[in-house]
Amino acid sequence: MNQLSNNHDIVACHLCDAVFDKPQLKQGQSAKCHRCGSTLVERKVDSINRSFYWSIAGIVLLIPAILLPIMGVTLAKQYHNASLLDCILVLIDRGFFMIATLVFLFAIAVPIVRLFGAFYIAISFKYQRLSSSMLTFFRAYHHLGHWAMLNVFMLGIIVSMYKLIDDTELSVNLGLLSLILWLICTTMASITLDQDYIWETLEQEFTHEDS
Amino acid sequence: MKTAKELGLGLCPKCHKVNTMHTEPMQCVRCHGWFYQRNRNSLQYTLAWNIAALLAFIPANLYPIMIIYSLGIGDESTILSGIGQFIDQGLYPIAVIIFTASIIVPLIKIIGLFVLVYKVHTGVRLKPTKHSKIYYMLEFLGPWSMLDVFVVALLVAVVELGFVTSVAAGPAINYFTMTVIFTMIAANSFDPRLLWDKKLKQQNRHAESKGI
Ligand SMILES: [Zn+2]
Ligand SMILES: [Zn+2]
Repeated sequence: MNQLSNNHDIVACHLCDAVFDKPQLKQGQSAKCHRCGSTLVERKVDSINRSFYWSIAGIVLLIPAILLPIMGVTLAKQYHNASLLDCILVLIDRGFFMIATLVFLFAIAVPIVRLFGAFYIAISFKYQRLSSSMLTFFRAYHHLGHWAMLNVFMLGIIVSMYKLIDDTELSVNLGLLSLILWLICTTMASITLDQDYIWETLEQEFTHEDS
Repeated sequence: MKTAKELGLGLCPKCHKVNTMHTEPMQCVRCHGWFYQRNRNSLQYTLAWNIAALLAFIPANLYPIMIIYSLGIGDESTILSGIGQFIDQGLYPIAVIIFTASIIVPLIKIIGLFVLVYKVHTGVRLKPTKHSKIYYMLEFLGPWSMLDVFVVALLVAVVELGFVTSVAAGPAINYFTMTVIFTMIAANSFDPRLLWDKKLKQQNRHAESKGI
């Protein structure tokens, strides 16, 4: 346990490996690396509460965002619309399994897992119900960050609208609004979550138990 | 200024805890994940994934990415011809967005990573501050190349008007997705700290030769 206490008051930059004394930060402050300029540590304001409310809003919007039609087209008196889920079902139906899987993973599964993850972490911290499985859980949560592409999907919707608007009658549906709001909620829920704070709290909690 | 490596320390990539490196790999005392002081065989992996991405990028541009059927007649378009259509229609902003996301970003990523690997390997005109910024940008840009894949996926789903008009995805979409995923894995395999290690080594060698 001696080694552990030794490294308690230092931090290292993840981009250039420079070692610094751990800065004492107040909420809302962040420290930059002197050597390369990347963010070293950050204290976010009211992290747990904010993340909790954003993730609740996200969970409420989840169903309408996925099931309500995003947009519809009319051509030669035929009308067809599609929701996010339809999108994947049609792709599977037409045999584009790889694309269906990827759209499902990047635009639905990863954001949902991140959303519920943020909710679970926030609620555990809020009501002081920490278990050691949280360590593994939060590690997995952190890992998924790169693969959430809902924002890219959103830009995809805008581009395809431009593509369609020329030769069809395009109608925008409620699903698009819920999807935009859902995107904001999932993004905010993970942005507001303070990783340094969570790791430190978890560490203190469980090293006490061990010794 | 000291680096963690010089002090025999290692930063856990998952929870950012500074660990004393007793073993290699080391199990993080905080999150219990296994990690190495530097990404293992970082340059080799980056290079391999990068070459794979470059290879997949060729068919991605040659094969059609989307086929529009109207009244039973199919009209194929590749990524580039799709951009051309937008220009013909005068939708320049959209043409620029798609061109950036599907051509410029993947190419910049692939070329950029090749350059970074080369710089770390040879140490020629290495500027760690500048190069680590480039790396950070490459990592950030990655997911945006998925744009065209999402557009085609959406069009396939929305434009389903029976015999009148329908849209199908072309084989290029699979190759293109592979390009994006391979470049993302390549960027993840690269360890930006190697840039600083190499510079430090050069400076030390320089100082030694001056001393003698
Ligand atoms: Zn740094
Ligand atoms: Zn760790």
